Amino acid sequence: MADILLEGRNLTMLYPVRRGLFQGLIGMVRAVDNVSFSIERGKTLSLVGESGAGKTTTAKSVLLLERATSGSVYFEGKDIYQYNKDQLKREYRPRVQAVQQNPWSSMNPRMRVKDIVAEPLVVNAKQSKKENYDRVVELLDQVGLKAEHAEHFPHEFSGGQRQRIAVARALALNPSLVVLDEPVSALDVSIRAQIMNLLKDLQEAHNLSYLVIAHNLATVRYMSHGVAIMYLGQIVEYGDTEDLFENPLHPYTNALISASDLKLPEDRDQNEKEIILSGEMPSPLNPPTGCRFHTRCPEARPECSKIEPEMVTVGKHQVKCHKFV
Amino acid sequence: MSKIVLEVEGLRTSFFTRKGIVKAVDGVSFFVREKETLGIVGESGCGKTVTGMSIMRLLPEPGGKIVGGRITLNGTSLLELSKREMRNIRGCMVSMILQDPMTSLNPVYTIGDQIAESVRMHQNLADEKMITNEVVSSLRLLQIPSPETLLKNYPFQLSGGMRQRVVGAIAMCCKPSLLIADEPTTALDATIQAQYIALFKDIQAKTDVAIIFITHDFGVIADMCHRVAVMYAGKIVESASTSEIFKKPQHPYTRALINSVPRLDRKDDRLYSIEGQPPSLMHLPPGCRFCERCSDSLEICSKEEPPEKNIGNNHTVSCWRVQ
Ligand SMILES: Nc1ncnc2c1ncn2[C@@H]1O[C@H](COP(=O)(O)OP(=O)(O)OP(=O)(O)O)[C@@H](O)[C@H]1O
Ligand SMILES: Nc1ncnc2c1ncn2[C@@H]1O[C@H](COP(=O)(O)OP(=O)(O)OP(=O)(O)O)[C@@H](O)[C@H]1O
Ligand SMILES: [Mg+2]
Ligand SMILES: [Mg+2]
Repeated sequence: MADILLEGRNLTMLYPVRRGLFQGLIGMVRAVDNVSFSIERGKTLSLVGESGAGKTTTAKSVLLLERATSGSVYFEGKDIYQYNKDQLKREYRPRVQAVQQNPWSSMNPRMRVKDIVAEPLVVNAKQSKKENYDRVVELLDQVGLKAEHAEHFPHEFSGGQRQRIAVARALALNPSLVVLDEPVSALDVSIRAQIMNLLKDLQEAHNLSYLVIAHNLATVRYMSHGVAIMYLGQIVEYGDTEDLFENPLHPYTNALISASDLKLPEDRDQNEKEIILSGEMPSPLNPPTGCRFHTRCPEARPECSKIEPEMVTVGKHQVKCHKFV
Repeated sequence: MSKIVLEVEGLRTSFFTRKGIVKAVDGVSFFVREKETLGIVGESGCGKTVTGMSIMRLLPEPGGKIVGGRITLNGTSLLELSKREMRNIRGCMVSMILQDPMTSLNPVYTIGDQIAESVRMHQNLADEKMITNEVVSSLRLLQIPSPETLLKNYPFQLSGGMRQRVVGAIAMCCKPSLLIADEPTTALDATIQAQYIALFKDIQAKTDVAIIFITHDFGVIADMCHRVAVMYAGKIVESASTSEIFKKPQHPYTRALINSVPRLDRKDDRLYSIEGQPPSLMHLPPGCRFCERCSDSLEICSKEEPPEKNIGNNHTVSCWRVQ
């Protein structure tokens, strides 16, 4: 049996949209629409999709930065949406930490590294100052920084080093799950590999689970055990990473893979099955009826614009497309 | 072989700052042919944008200065032109898509007005109707659906992908023979990026334009470029055809860069990673600039700069290891 650490069940997030500051409601955005997934202990699940797909919103509902409008989050089998404030503070929040998308803006420029990394420890208030400092040094070592870095300020570091500091802070309380929103996309190509390798090593050393949000499919294949492909608020394909990349089913997944695959000039000339979608992502305020992807789908059929497909299991993973119903 | 549109020889561009001289581009040579796309790839701060800005002669003043080399565009030596002559060439013979698309569109003018403005500046069209025709046809070239409606929109009303197309339409409206595109796809989503790259290929087939594509994404290079120049700390360390670069990379930096990018077509257990960071362009080391991060260095590497060698097939490398 898989050892499930965290599960999102039928999460839906609606945001009211107003015109102007004081005028009335003009509609609701379904930022996330009935999304379910699970993360195993010690494993990585990635949420992939383009801008506006609902990845960050899903992560927020897990981190309880915002409560989902409906649905729930189960942590070690318990529904944390039923927890009271005190229970959350003791039993959930310390165990689920986040690394923000942008290593530049997520740090207070006037704080020293030792205070940035120690922040969760201070908030948790379980140890003495000296114990906190020792822990900071230990954490810096784990992420490949030196003890003397503790006295420096964020601006003295490169992007990659700042991301290491953010990871150290996230690990301070020995969490079980770390949510990483685009952990490497702001970094230079040559630095990305350093950080991805570091995250993998830390996962192994501490049996960490990761929820990774990413644009880049190749990064996802390298980092994760499970993948959820999102489009306009919904998961359209979901399952084991290797299985999904070896045997992609949804036309959107295929288009994403085609767009991300390395096409060398000689393959290019053969002009094989490169898929280029037409049109743009529709507005989530007014999503297409039926299958949300049908307006851009190269394989759309008449029923696609009318009936929303169910999520079905095909082989070892799940897909939401009429082709497989 | 088609004719050479641009030739850059020994270009050196520096910034004279209070703290010292930043040698942003330090002896760079390359050429681009008609119908050809040259990719310039390298990590942040290696001098890609400054190379492009030097060709355009649009360096920030005071401070930025071309201190050496030659730039020849369609037989004209650009560094010998007056400011006014250069202004006429810009946008007409050569244009550039800037790295940040928001800065290249003025938020208070409609899309139509902005394109018309650059048509008016470079083509002596008096007739407003002819100008509108030119504008619409350049929007069509960029495959913008219903261009007549889009003309009346303001930049904020467009999606990122559409805005980037408009920037492309402005760059292409005067049919330049050289287009410099600085990271035009970096901010775009994967499927929109694929659309944009297909579009560039189509434009090139239709207009024969030579393109310099600046990027740090090897996927884009593979998909789009015929040849590649790899830059490191202000110098081109290797250049070759795209397939040679991927199949037989010679410079340890090129090899490391290619190996450190995860691939979709295979399962990597561990990525190759380059430790450390590039040197400061204000305090460059005496020998090879990559020496400190190189796992393969010789004694000479830290003392003398390696000369550029041509190893055949127009494949050039600057590395003491390469014979
Ligand atoms: N507070 C909010 N109020 C209204 N709409 C919102 C709010 N937050 C998010 N949205 C909308 O919900 C949708 C999903 O947004 P979300 O940030 O989750 O996307 P994402 O997948 O993280 O995209 P990106 O890759 O651009 O970060 C978007 O259309 C967004 O505009
Ligand atoms: N106005 C300026 N004054 C001083 N130094 C500058 C100026 N503009 C650029 N530089 C320096 O020149 C070097 C090259 O910068 P450039 O913008 O060409 O890098 P790049 O390769 O385009 O990087 P990126 O991938 O981040 O766009 C950098 O080290 C930068 O700090
Ligand atoms: Mg997001
Ligand atoms: Mg640049």
